[in-house]
Amino acid sequence: MNKKVIAIFFLLILMISLVFTYSYFTQKTTEEKPYDYSIDSVDNKEISDEIDNLLLDENYEVEIGEMV
Amino acid sequence: MRKICSLLIVLVLLISISSIVYADESEEDPQDGIENKTKKEIQVMNNSLGVEIRLLQLEKALLKNILKGEMTVQVLIGLGFNTTENNTDELESILSKMKLLLEDIRVVNTSSTESVQIFISLKNESKNLTTQFRETIRELLNETSLSQIRERIKEMLGDEIDNFGKRIRNLIRQFNYNQLYRLYGLVGEADSSFVNDYFNGTLPLNETKLQLCRIINGMTNEKKYEIFSEIKGENIRRQIHAQDALENMGKGNRHGKY
Repeated sequence: MNKKVIAIFFLLILMISLVFTYSYFTQKTTEEKPYDYSIDSVDNKEISDEIDNLLLDENYEVEIGEMV
Repeated sequence: MRKICSLLIVLVLLISISSIVYADESEEDPQDGIENKTKKEIQVMNNSLGVEIRLLQLEKALLKNILKGEMTVQVLIGLGFNTTENNTDELESILSKMKLLLEDIRVVNTSSTESVQIFISLKNESKNLTTQFRETIRELLNETSLSQIRERIKEMLGDEIDNFGKRIRNLIRQFNYNQLYRLYGLVGEADSSFVNDYFNGTLPLNETKLQLCRIINGMTNEKKYEIFSEIKGENIRRQIHAQDALENMGKGNRHGKY
């Protein structure tokens, strides 16, 4: 009787742990990097990335899927 | 025994509650139906040149699929799919709808305030019709025949698509030229020969960008920051414009507009 209770109790703990582990690894990251750009913090890579965002790739194609 | 039952009930309850919690968390935002690629695509649609580029790219993609579809139908007819039981009627009906859609894309006013919503709507319709065609043909042929057709039609796409590609490339070059010219002005560089070289096709885009970055890298931190803020601001404005368009589209959907 006691063994059964203990077994179910452990099962319960196992299930709860699984749920929390799953939630920990699959949760959406809602925290964004704080928007903190001081004069000294802006590096060349960031400027280059922003320029990239401003320009269009000449070979880009709109995708609507394949027919066959 | 009672203890076991009550523990089992607690276990079931806990699992059910946690499922409900996660179901709530994973509930999608209505706007998540629009894929990230499309969200990125509409960011350049805040001016008529950007709208024209995206619509032409969509037109090219749809035209390519129509041509592929027509070739596929020809191959099927050659394989004997022209009897009353086995025929290509459904596929041809989908192709007719795609051709009508192509006309709709061609007549969109690039200066319209609703061009983003129209683009998303036309793109979704193009994707749906393509999926319909693909699923219909999968019911008619096995995977071996399908891969043979894929190989055959790959080699057959001709000049029309190439010309489209050139037209789009020229428009993108114009778009990038405008952006680069503005950036050179911002940097305060009098010599804009790199931008002209890019526009004439003698200097690739990445080289032009590299030249610009070199000039910026040699500036003081204050000037760099000023340029960075300006570019970042422009990119944020674009994102806001795209987000506004999506929100307006959501409102339109609620009123049965689309």
